[in-house]
Amino acid sequence: MNSGIKYSEQELVALLQQRSESAFSYLYDNYSGALAGVINAIIPDTETMRDVLQEVFVNIWKKIELYDASKGRLFTWMMNVARNAAIDKIRSRGYQESKKNLSVDNGGQEMAIGGVSLPQTKDIGLQRMLAGLKEEYRTLIELSYFQGYTHEEISKALGIPLGTVKTRIRSALSNLRTMIR
Amino acid sequence: MNAQEYISSGIIESYVMGLTTPEENTEVEAMCRQYPEVLQARIAFEELLEQQSMQNALAQPASLKATITEAAMKNTAAKVVAIEKSSVPKISWFKYVAAASVILLAGSLYWNITLYNKNKQLENNYSSSIAKLDDLQKQIDMINLNPHMKMAAMKGMDASPSSFATVYWDTTSKDVYLLVNNLPAPPTNQQYQLWALLDGKPIDIGMIENDFFVSQKRLLLKMKNASQAQAFAITLEKKGGNPTPEGKMYVMGNL
Repeated sequence: MNSGIKYSEQELVALLQQRSESAFSYLYDNYSGALAGVINAIIPDTETMRDVLQEVFVNIWKKIELYDASKGRLFTWMMNVARNAAIDKIRSRGYQESKKNLSVDNGGQEMAIGGVSLPQTKDIGLQRMLAGLKEEYRTLIELSYFQGYTHEEISKALGIPLGTVKTRIRSALSNLRTMIR
Repeated sequence: MNAQEYISSGIIESYVMGLTTPEENTEVEAMCRQYPEVLQARIAFEELLEQQSMQNALAQPASLKATITEAAMKNTAAKVVAIEKSSVPKISWFKYVAAASVILLAGSLYWNITLYNKNKQLENNYSSSIAKLDDLQKQIDMINLNPHMKMAAMKGMDASPSSFATVYWDTTSKDVYLLVNNLPAPPTNQQYQLWALLDGKPIDIGMIENDFFVSQKRLLLKMKNASQAQAFAITLEKKGGNPTPEGKMYVMGNL
């Protein structure tokens, strides 16, 4: 698949902005696997994950003008597009309905957060990295990063002060970095 | 908070992973611009995340690429068609055109008024310039075209060697005109006085108004008539002048 050409990030972005199909092909070849992994960490179901992956590539193609290199690397941007799409998906009514059939009635979202039916540690990527974190940290990252709850929502659901939620998430992520090293 | 503390606070990781508020985003972006080490830390974490994600990539079936590519390309095409075919954009085009023409009209009106005013001002300046030129021409003609006109070039004396002035004397009408080529501006409590000299005796021919040195509106100053003269001279006198010269002589010249 890979034709052996290697684009710099700048070149790739410029070509995508000119709607170059070969640049899209290159983007897909190089990043579809990694982005699939990012989505899969949030949506374990393969079929749904692939639907979201398609949505993500369509969005990247459509919205490449919005990418601002001064704010971060291309992959970071794509990763956030993927994460947002995945979270939108699990928040959607359709997805919630299909989930309900599988699990016991959990009495709505609030309970779902409170009861944190947590890791099932999926053995991939960030999730695996998470496994090394302290329990209290792991829960917070799971809720904020993988389930997309805001700090306020988490603070309310877990009864932890907002400031503490924020500090703990930050130090968890900071630990994450040193752990990976 | 210094850059190192900022880096170790974990906010950069939060930012990269999309867990910061819009306000915090603005803050992180400002810090990255201000501190190279903060920017370095951001990029380092981004690279780490990318590397980690690459290692944990999930290979997808080859058929998926065609499906996704098709969906993306269809999306580009759909956008183009929407612009070409839909009638809704046409209405908005009219709106834009209408709005644009109102703005253009307003701008043009403003421009017209500005130009009109400028034009009027130029016209005024022009006619006053013409009047001035006419006046000067008349003054020059009076000297040049008059065969009875005599001239006395008055050179600078010891008091002011670089001074110079010219008297034009119409021997028929006895009119005296003074051209001040170069005289220092007088102190406010003094005035220059022009004298005609006849057999060594000075005759008062009039004062040079001090405001002449301020405005310099006229080329030639009309002085008192001189019935007879052999030479002319200018002295600096008290304001209003003296019956006989008391001050220093600035210029003098024979006819």
